[in-house]
Amino acid sequence: MRVLLVEDDPMIGAAIQGALKDAAHAADWVKNGTDALAALEFPHYDLVLLDLGLPGRDGLDVLTQIRAIDTKLPLLIVTARDAIEDRLRGLDGGADDYVLKPFLMPELLARMRAVLRRRSGDATPLLGNGVIELNPASKEARLTDGVPQQLSNREFALLHALLLRPGAILSRQVLEERIYGWGDEVDSNMVEFLIHGLRRKFGSQIIKNVRGMGWMVSRNV
Amino acid sequence: MDGLQKRLNTSIQFKLSFTLAVVILVLAALAGVFSYLSALDEAHDLQDDVLLQVARLVDREVLTAPVPVRTDHGKTADNESRVFVQRLGETNPALIGEGEGQVLPLPVTLKEGLQTVDVQGESFRVLVKTTAAGERLAVAQEAGLRNEIAQDGAWRTVMPFLVLVPLLLLIVADLVRKLFRPIAALAHEVDTRDEAALHPLGDQALPTEIRPFVTAINRLLTRTARSMELQRRFIADAAHELRSPLTALSLQAERLSDLELSASAQERLKALHEGITRGRQLLEQMLALAHVQSATESASGPVSVQDIFHRVLEDLLPLAEAKQLDLGAESIWDVNLEVNARDLFVLIRNLVDNAIRYTPAGGRVDLAAEHHPDGVLLRIQDNGPGIPETERQRVFAPFYRMAGSDAPGAGLGLAIVEVIAKRLGAQITLSAADPLRKSGLCVAVLLPHAASRHA
Repeated sequence: MRVLLVEDDPMIGAAIQGALKDAAHAADWVKNGTDALAALEFPHYDLVLLDLGLPGRDGLDVLTQIRAIDTKLPLLIVTARDAIEDRLRGLDGGADDYVLKPFLMPELLARMRAVLRRRSGDATPLLGNGVIELNPASKEARLTDGVPQQLSNREFALLHALLLRPGAILSRQVLEERIYGWGDEVDSNMVEFLIHGLRRKFGSQIIKNVRGMGWMVSRNV
Repeated sequence: MDGLQKRLNTSIQFKLSFTLAVVILVLAALAGVFSYLSALDEAHDLQDDVLLQVARLVDREVLTAPVPVRTDHGKTADNESRVFVQRLGETNPALIGEGEGQVLPLPVTLKEGLQTVDVQGESFRVLVKTTAAGERLAVAQEAGLRNEIAQDGAWRTVMPFLVLVPLLLLIVADLVRKLFRPIAALAHEVDTRDEAALHPLGDQALPTEIRPFVTAINRLLTRTARSMELQRRFIADAAHELRSPLTALSLQAERLSDLELSASAQERLKALHEGITRGRQLLEQMLALAHVQSATESASGPVSVQDIFHRVLEDLLPLAEAKQLDLGAESIWDVNLEVNARDLFVLIRNLVDNAIRYTPAGGRVDLAAEHHPDGVLLRIQDNGPGIPETERQRVFAPFYRMAGSDAPGAGLGLAIVEVIAKRLGAQITLSAADPLRKSGLCVAVLLPHAASRHA
């Protein structure tokens, strides 16, 4: 894809441009807001990476101008400004994401992909963390390199709760609330029983026990 | 004498007491002298009047009938107040009045009128008068009487002053103590202040004489606060500015690792990456420290201890897993605390992060929250090497790293913890997790009742 990079720092600009090329993207690099707006006269960019600390015209102003021309163009703010106010103004001003310096390039690329996915409207309905994937429609789960396996309703409810936010620790109480409907009688061993079943199907490392706190699936890898 | 000089210069109470006492004593002496002199003068006149009257009386009586004259000064007449009346120039003088049988050996050559005469070593005031009969009559009284009257008068004047001196010293001492009470209270307030609290001192209750001093101190406090603020902002700005070059550096290093590199080049690149990562960590910690230092007022709300533990563990589990540490919770008494959630999160996170860093692979890190009579006690315990007692105070200093420690870190984690703990009013105690073998570290964070309330 074709990316417009607006960045005044020569070192960072060169590094990002190079990394984007490495990742097989075409990247045009401008160093101030005026040049950026001029470049956007021709609508041939798939995505904009915008720094906020620009000389002359502030990045947030440039953002407003860009949004006045094109409301749909995917745009990520890439900045060293970590104040919550800047973040809110950036996102409220129409940015699709806010990446804080210093960042790692794989993170930036992943966020660019996520923004494009959201913009194109085909956000995947699958839940996963890079190791295991869950299809809420069919209630099937599979390891990323394995075959789909059908889950029971309760197994699905438990895995779904964990995969909604990989890396989050869910206590027994929270998991029981997800598994049982209102008025169901709670079986004290049910959570362990279900987790045991899921581990047998997908490996013991798939759901981790955090001593004294609850259970989790690993964060996205 | 030096000691006196020193006390005079240093103690207001002593100076006041001393000066007032000296002034009063001088005044008393002056008043005494003045009173003595005027009383003496009066006594002179009085005595002379007495002699004149006695002489006149005697004169008249001698003319009529020789009646003994008694001239006592009241009933308590003493020796000195006696009045002698006798004829001059008689070898066997016939006493007209009563001298209790005594006769003064007055010389015959005395002139007419009033005079002071020495008789047998004593001073007498003598009136010589020639009567109508032609006799020379002498009326005499001891001169010492006058002095006695004058001295009595002087003493009566000085006495109240002498009584006044000790009374005044007591009053001055009391007054000074009372005047200085607000200053002592102010000193106590300044003493117990947090070093970050640089708001001005209140001067309402202070005497006007002290106020300029307090105002000057307040101005100094304002200047100090401003310079500290500038310094803090400089650190924050500097760290902030470092972000861009560090980002560029890390991006370039990443691109380098995408290339086909020889094994030795890759190894060196790995070292470079580690260096950059460490730089980034240091930067983030400096920004975090600057942030917690500058945030004075922070919104607080009910924060669940269990929620904070959850978030900390979620954040740090990957780190613990990489070192194969058993990171978990022991017992959690879930309470809601009235604190800033971010503050508590950063506090616990930094402590757990430290525990993970310093505990060797395969070790164990435990979190616990317990009820304590004074509030809620949060514990982070590990079975690592621990911190020797002598080092326990110093580890909170910024950039302090224990000797022989090779754990990665910037040395700001505990400094941040200390700043936050101070703000939360929390008390942090370090001890050995295993007191017998003196190993392992147990960090206890006591959050006072003010911040906690039952869930």
